[in-house]
Amino acid sequence: MEISIDGRIANVQELARNGNYITMMVDGDVYEVDALRVSEGIYSIIYKGRSYNIEMIADTSARHYTVNSWYNSYKVEVIDAQTRYRMSREKGSHTDEGKIIVSPMPGKVVKLLVKEGDTVEAGQTLIIISAMKMESEFKAKVPGVVKHIAVNEGDTVDANKELITIE
Amino acid sequence: MIRKVLVANRGEIAVRIMRSCREMGIRTVAVYSEADRASMHVRYADQAFYIGPAPSTESYLNIDKIIEVAKQSGADAIHPGYGFLSEKAEFSDRCKREGIIFIGPDSHAIKMMGDKITARKTMIAAGVPVVPGTVDAVKDEADALKIIEEIGVPVMIKATAGGGGKGMRLVKDAKDVISSLRMAQSEARNAFGDDSVYIEKYIESPHHIEFQILADKHGNTVHLFERECSVQRRHQKVIEETPSPLLTPEIRNEMGRHAVAAAKACGYYGAGTIEFIVDDNLNYYFLEMNTRLQVEHPITERVVGVDLVKEMIGIANGFELPFRQEDLKQSGHAIECRIYAEDPDNNFMPSPGKIQHITEPLGLGVRHDGYVYEGYTIPIYYDPMISKLIVWAKTREEAINRMSRALHEYKITGVKTSIRFLAKIMESQDFISGKYNTHFIEKNHDFLMAEPECDGQCEDIALIAAFLEHTQKLNKVSTNGVDKKAVSRWKDIRHHSSI
Repeated sequence: MEISIDGRIANVQELARNGNYITMMVDGDVYEVDALRVSEGIYSIIYKGRSYNIEMIADTSARHYTVNSWYNSYKVEVIDAQTRYRMSREKGSHTDEGKIIVSPMPGKVVKLLVKEGDTVEAGQTLIIISAMKMESEFKAKVPGVVKHIAVNEGDTVDANKELITIE
Repeated sequence: MIRKVLVANRGEIAVRIMRSCREMGIRTVAVYSEADRASMHVRYADQAFYIGPAPSTESYLNIDKIIEVAKQSGADAIHPGYGFLSEKAEFSDRCKREGIIFIGPDSHAIKMMGDKITARKTMIAAGVPVVPGTVDAVKDEADALKIIEEIGVPVMIKATAGGGGKGMRLVKDAKDVISSLRMAQSEARNAFGDDSVYIEKYIESPHHIEFQILADKHGNTVHLFERECSVQRRHQKVIEETPSPLLTPEIRNEMGRHAVAAAKACGYYGAGTIEFIVDDNLNYYFLEMNTRLQVEHPITERVVGVDLVKEMIGIANGFELPFRQEDLKQSGHAIECRIYAEDPDNNFMPSPGKIQHITEPLGLGVRHDGYVYEGYTIPIYYDPMISKLIVWAKTREEAINRMSRALHEYKITGVKTSIRFLAKIMESQDFISGKYNTHFIEKNHDFLMAEPECDGQCEDIALIAAFLEHTQKLNKVSTNGVDKKAVSRWKDIRHHSSI
């Protein structure tokens, strides 16, 4: 199975399993671990006597996870055939990077500073979202024309929702 | 005698107040907005009443509605907590007029301390040191220049109606006086509708140290020592501790005496806090008085052994304080960390959302004042503070180690939190040595924000967990029963013995 973790794509395979004792190979390195799923999405993994407590949080898509250990938090994506196809197509060509303004947290739309059809500069503030008494400005990452605005002033928005598309 | 208290607040502080009420045999009434039906304070209270839509202006700040609920529920007193209506003189007055006991000071004291210039004049008259600067609002630009010449740069220009860092300008060079003055005035006019400003000497490496006071209605006023609140980010306190590693016993006594004098100067009763700014040479100056219970009050409770909420209720009942100054002692060391729903890796952006999982820290010397639970959704409308983690130990060193341990135990998933950032602070040399001021976070930024060290092995372990979780999920979907191993043997036994 191919899994991407913070940009690195790793090959992960299961070699053997006996109850909790699992032998895994990650990019050619062999790991003999004692992995116990202690509750929904939570793993206690012991490797060479070191104890790791790992939490898996499923994102909106079935293949995306946030993986938290005590010291780190990773964005993880399981790569399937469809993803591989998408990635090969996108390679070389430009992606949607920066063209879609997304709110990383739930909140309320305080102000829309542009309308559809407006020409915007990179760095221009497009929308203000308020969450927990704090207002955050979201700026255009690239110059372009506002193609679509998915929200209205006063709307409550969920996390990771598309707000504005620039073309 | 107060028999039923309405808590005009939400979240952790509402729960904390109700806990003391429960111990005292006092019934509690919660009020809640549309966003807070599932909030812990509603579940904890004996009675709960809906008071309006989610925005606080239409609910937790709606005086008419709260008074109406107090009457309807038969509450004889209202505790305002902190924030919301706690420092609104009008609310204290209104309670009095309606025959409801306000658990806090009267409107006169709130007003006096709410206006910075009046507060400053009152303190000067009471012999409490204030930051050198103007007593009255600056008249004009010539006046400003003259004042700055007298006290010398650096100075701070501040809005008299100010707060939250708005209408504030630091002047380091005398030639910038006029432009800074104009900017401060225009900001103050926009933010508060009042452009009057005053000028204060700027303290270069300030410590923020505050004193807790309690005063009854019979003229007895005591202080419960200090809280060191210099670990701040954007003027927001992050960590507090007591005793302060900076103060000497002599300065502590002197500041305590001045804190009591400050409270007496405005005829104060109830619980209050006198904030001081202290420089490296232990010169201290009155900054402001908070006429309410503070967020960080638990560290004082832990070290002095007094339940401040119970004392506030006693004072509101008209009782005399059950102790004198000489009865109060500091014992051991307490630290509080504020846990916020925010993302330290993303400029501390707020992170409301659903709590998927929470493991609260437990064990020796740990107190945890919170309100969230598994499955609870933190609303977007209010403060991002999730909880306060308080530890106590005999020594400061042990308290720091205990806080590190408690933070390690504390697990929340679903929302991002400041827990790891706080743990880094506990590991920083400046905090451990106790040599820090309000520039601490800025100064230690690189250390605090450093990516955790990992030899690639942590990443591989995370990949293994992701693999296992994903295959588990796929197996479940294909329903071929691979999941059997995860079924507890206890369930089999139960089936066999038909328990």
